[in-house]
Amino acid sequence: MQRSHQLSAAVMLAPATGLLATFIILPMLLTIWLSFHSWSSQTGFETAQFIGLQNFFDLASSSSVGRDFKTALGNTAFYTVLSVAIILPLSVGLGLLVHQTIAPGGVVLRTILFSTYMVPMIAVSLVFSKLYSPTEGPLNQMLGWIGVPPQTWLSAPQTALVSIVLLNVWQQVGYFTVLAVAGLTQIPQSLFDAAKVDGANALQRFTSITLPLLGNTLLFSAVIAVINAVQVFEPVALITQGGPVNATNVLTYHIRRVGIERAQGGLGSAMAVTLMLALIVAITALFALARARSPRSA
Amino acid sequence: MHLLKVIARAAGTVAVLLSTTALVQAEDVSFLTHWAPETVAKLEAAAATYTASHPDTTITVRAVPFGDLLTTLRTSGGGAGGATIAGIYDAWLPDLAKDALVAPVPEAIAADIKSNWPAGIVGAASIDGTLYGIPNEIDVYALNYNKRLFEEAGIAAPPATWDEFLADAAKLTDASKGQQGFGMINSWAAGVLHPFSSLLVSNGGDLIVDGAPVLDSPAATETFALYEQLIKSGSSNPSMATADANTTGPFLDNFVSGKTGMIIMANWWESALKAGMGDAFADIATAPIPVGPSGDVPRSISYSWMTVVNAQASSEEQAAAWDFLAWLNGPESGPDGASAMADILMSMGILPSRTSDITAFADRLGSDAFLKGYTETLANAKPFPVVLGGQEFSEALQQQLEAIQFGQATAVDAQATAQADAKEILERNAK
Repeated sequence: MQRSHQLSAAVMLAPATGLLATFIILPMLLTIWLSFHSWSSQTGFETAQFIGLQNFFDLASSSSVGRDFKTALGNTAFYTVLSVAIILPLSVGLGLLVHQTIAPGGVVLRTILFSTYMVPMIAVSLVFSKLYSPTEGPLNQMLGWIGVPPQTWLSAPQTALVSIVLLNVWQQVGYFTVLAVAGLTQIPQSLFDAAKVDGANALQRFTSITLPLLGNTLLFSAVIAVINAVQVFEPVALITQGGPVNATNVLTYHIRRVGIERAQGGLGSAMAVTLMLALIVAITALFALARARSPRSA
Repeated sequence: MHLLKVIARAAGTVAVLLSTTALVQAEDVSFLTHWAPETVAKLEAAAATYTASHPDTTITVRAVPFGDLLTTLRTSGGGAGGATIAGIYDAWLPDLAKDALVAPVPEAIAADIKSNWPAGIVGAASIDGTLYGIPNEIDVYALNYNKRLFEEAGIAAPPATWDEFLADAAKLTDASKGQQGFGMINSWAAGVLHPFSSLLVSNGGDLIVDGAPVLDSPAATETFALYEQLIKSGSSNPSMATADANTTGPFLDNFVSGKTGMIIMANWWESALKAGMGDAFADIATAPIPVGPSGDVPRSISYSWMTVVNAQASSEEQAAAWDFLAWLNGPESGPDGASAMADILMSMGILPSRTSDITAFADRLGSDAFLKGYTETLANAKPFPVVLGGQEFSEALQQQLEAIQFGQATAVDAQATAQADAKEILERNAK
């Protein structure tokens, strides 16, 4: 009887696990396998030649291959950290504005904020490329009205990646605000009322009630924001092509350049594996940090 | 009995339908290009003319931005379901041929090409003597300058030497107006490399000789130093030099809006200038690349484009593609003995390469002052090296030139790194 149950469970799970294995696990294993090979992505897998850890040694070397990879990895890390560092506090702040009932307009604000998330990144990129134009762009013209000199935005290595981060924040913050609002609605009003009775001011209520109870929401938001940020591709491919001087060359774009344009499939796979490992480490660190700060673990 | 009759009739009908289908089976030929919509429309019109007399072939055109062309070709264009025909840059050919993505030109068409195109152009479309594509356009570089800005700066004639070039660039620079003397380009490998390479060959230097990089030559030292001098003097502003995936962007905007006095660019951008400048295009003139202290005559690098056929396509599809391309590039498809391809190219200000096309358009090439500056350069042009790993080599050198532009490296350090990178890249790719 139990055997029959096991068999029917296996049969029912087979389609889902089969799809997972075919479209997720198998490509991941294949990428890991290819990372130990020299392989042109334009030829069959049978042409792949085993070279051990050579691709990883090349990525760590001081040759142009290694330098470009390390720059791309550093750019991706910077982009991710800055994006998350801006998006999360901003989404909480905007979430509080939307959630509050003192002044009207919360729903309108939420709609406006979320609408930016619905605009395709390709359109956002094209519009921002014009907004950022150093000589004729509206942003520099507006800054000129208040006496601020023209900024280089995408046209200089010092500012290009930050400009892409701002574009990302503009597009993503609405989505994370909605998540923050969802978290805020879960906090019982009675806690705030009790705190008020005890004489807690607004800042104390925020730091002692709102933030701790938003912990799970913020953790989820952070994980999603990190994953989204690591996958940045469109603005780089459309506007900057990784330049100037590799300043916006992020890993997804670099992997595409190496693995597809140059057909160096083995090297591109090694980069993808390194990115995956870096992502696993980052997400694990986030969960560990959240666990360490959790009241239960105290 | 009745059932048997019905089955027999149905089988007969199916057999007739199948045989008819086989007889009229159309070959679907797709053409991948990076051309702008108005040029794609001209190609579609030429294709419609061809298919009117070849109803068994259908031709569709797919356009992608230049920045995505190689990737599209690599990801989908080279597979069995990918584009049948693609327009490619000659520097990509060695790698595409190595991976067997492009089919050799059939013998009869190859013989026609060898007798109707200059040998150098045929060579750029060949690997180890095997011809892989039908050459169509050739591009060279020249100095484009704004006559109005020259007049305002009191400069009578375009610079012929590097000393004059530096002096004029300084005179044309006016930071208070946001005006730069010479416009460099960044964030686009060819846009960075080709002007630099043209100055290098005009100084008697080369990028690669016999498969090995020669970026450590004295001529290259002088060219790297020229870039550094232009930046340090403020005559060139790198923040005005950015390009995007469509090979447009601030570098073009600044020249079009009269904020860049001089720029080194290829003939193909004539259409972009005309579209952006309107009547002000009359202010633009062309001059040969200034000659460096180690050079003898003005030179430019040249490169060509060709149309290739997907080696993974079926033999019938390949045959249909070659037949269309032979017609498109042949002397009967266009006006007055020109090919339809040359007609399309000339609409963009691009020089055709077939000998009969140059003859057919001789009057127009001679009377178009902008293009004339380029055609005069052709005789002394040096082909951009076509080697395995060419794209990676270009991108590595691009990084060093951009590092000079933004003050991240001195000319000496950039040159040393560029030579070391190039050596490693070319040796690795040649294996």
